[in-house]
Amino acid sequence: MTALSPLPLKAPARATDDQYDWPAALTAQGPAREEALGRLHQFLLRAAFHQVSRMSRPGVGRDRIDEIANQAADEAMVCLLSKLSTFEGRSRFTTWAYKFAVLQAAVEVRRQSWRDREIPLDESYVVAARGSTPEEHVEASDLASAVWDAIDHVLTPHQRSITVALLVDEVAIDVLAERLGTNRNALYKTLHDARGRIRTHLQSTGHLHSASPGGAR
Amino acid sequence: MSRNRPELTPVVVQRLIFDTEPWLSCDDCFRLVDQYVEMVLQGSDVQMPAMKVHLEGCAACAEEAQSLLELAAEDAGQDPAEVLGALLGR
Repeated sequence: MTALSPLPLKAPARATDDQYDWPAALTAQGPAREEALGRLHQFLLRAAFHQVSRMSRPGVGRDRIDEIANQAADEAMVCLLSKLSTFEGRSRFTTWAYKFAVLQAAVEVRRQSWRDREIPLDESYVVAARGSTPEEHVEASDLASAVWDAIDHVLTPHQRSITVALLVDEVAIDVLAERLGTNRNALYKTLHDARGRIRTHLQSTGHLHSASPGGAR
Repeated sequence: MSRNRPELTPVVVQRLIFDTEPWLSCDDCFRLVDQYVEMVLQGSDVQMPAMKVHLEGCAACAEEAQSLLELAAEDAGQDPAEVLGALLGR
């Protein structure tokens, strides 16, 4: 995707003030907490705006980008505050905070991008019978044919459906998760298992060496 | 309704056969990514092989990690382009 503006918002003041005790300020009472919440929202908005800008297609208006970024920042704020106790200081607080806004914004942009698009699931593919389509094997590369053979014959229907949707049709993982009523974590685990089966199959057919991570012969 | 199978380009084939061991979940990636990004920015010898593999294998997490790196780099006064490759272990 095309970035409209790499970093449209500058970091708010004191962005790198490592002395500021964010957890204390955010759990304080009264004006101190209100000030901290306001500052935190600025950081989250910057991160959300950055993410929406770098993912949005050309032609998306500034108003729409602002709208998505503001919504993502608000949602990130709620999510972050519910997990404030898990901040362990292994990174700057601001870096830790940014990731909540980046995630919320990215998920929303992917959702918008796929809003009116059909998600093809692999049941609609013609599954080839072994050896029944020799012309395909001639036309396609040997490895690509072997990979299709593995997809067809060593994956479960669920693994096949998820793998083809995510890696062949390039459906956004959050969008697929939402449509299937699951989550990114579960889909990635399915993908992990499917890739393992494909690799094992390719090793058994001699298309892949067991000692070559990610590589083919 | 059935449809013909698309031809697999070399890029897609590599995506399909990518070895995602050592395993790391998307949730754990999210939990660790801020720490990982800062280590990359500091030029540390990052000993997090599972994170590198995960970011190669999960397009969504990689896209978000790159964005986080850009934000953190600006805060640190660094050019993110110089370390983007290190983010993915390249």
